[in-house]
Amino acid sequence: MATATVSTLSATFGTHCAISHNPKSQFSQPFNLNRFPSPSHSHSSNLTFSPRLPLSPLPKSTESALAQTQTQTLSPDPQSPNWEPGLFAVVMIGSRQYIVHPGRWIVVQRLKGANVNDKIALHKVLLVGTDTSCYIGQPIVTNAVVYATVEEQGLDPKVIVFKYKKKKHYRRTIGHRQPNTRLRINSIMGYENYPKVTMDDLNLDDTQSEDSQS
Amino acid sequence: MTRIKRGYIARKRRKKIRLFTSSFRGAHSRLTRTITQQKIKALVSAHRDRDRKKRDFRGLWISRINAVIRENPKVYCIYSNLIYNIYTRQLLLNRKIVAQIAILKENCLFMIANHIIKTKNPRRRYFGKV
Repeated sequence: MATATVSTLSATFGTHCAISHNPKSQFSQPFNLNRFPSPSHSHSSNLTFSPRLPLSPLPKSTESALAQTQTQTLSPDPQSPNWEPGLFAVVMIGSRQYIVHPGRWIVVQRLKGANVNDKIALHKVLLVGTDTSCYIGQPIVTNAVVYATVEEQGLDPKVIVFKYKKKKHYRRTIGHRQPNTRLRINSIMGYENYPKVTMDDLNLDDTQSEDSQS
Repeated sequence: MTRIKRGYIARKRRKKIRLFTSSFRGAHSRLTRTITQQKIKALVSAHRDRDRKKRDFRGLWISRINAVIRENPKVYCIYSNLIYNIYTRQLLLNRKIVAQIAILKENCLFMIANHIIKTKNPRRRYFGKV
């Protein structure tokens, strides 16, 4: 899988490369490869956010996420700890779910009251996974936290809302820019004590007969 | 009344519309009257399809989940069973995430499916082979 190859790349190149080149490519989230700015030293208040924005199930463009070629070499920041290979979490922000990797950024609905360089703790972690195992939250993985830093509070590109009724001489033009927040994911923690499922369980069930299941 | 020439007022207005329509095919980017019509149609389609997009993607995710789940030999499952088990086991993962996991990290999805189908669920109302 693509993410697995990326993680192995990072493991091998980590000891060799010291400089990570970050082209500021602004293509879409959440599988963006922009990584690791200089660690933000401004220790603002720890804000804990529960999603309180209205339900808007706007899908992230999965097409572009799949078409993305993950060929960039990634070198982990020498100051950040080593994550398990292929670590990811599914986190719910603003009643939308995102797949989140430490060190990458995502764009979410505007979080009110969060200023730039604020640290944010996200508690609604639905799934944590690595290459070999995953912690399935029912419904959330207890004590798991995703720490993020607010990078920017910006606006989406403009969308023209055009209302038109034909043959009735009615047209209205409105421009709309949805406010958003860009978060840099720092770390995923607190999931170690949760019961986990590994590939061994899967293979073990294969060898046993199906009749022995409930 | 004083005489007023119209000058280039109309041209200024049409220039913006022409810029919008500049990448359209054939007469739709060249002829003035069709340009105004095509801009209207384009904006109406965009407005309508922004809502359509949400529906389309959900169907796509469902198809993808179904395809990946049915085909694998490790866990015997189909989409409806998987969704039923997701709801009864109180997982909050939505179809978008499950579809993404199905494509990028299949093993994780099989682990999830295996876990929620094969381990005994205290909430299940009936017992027997799914």
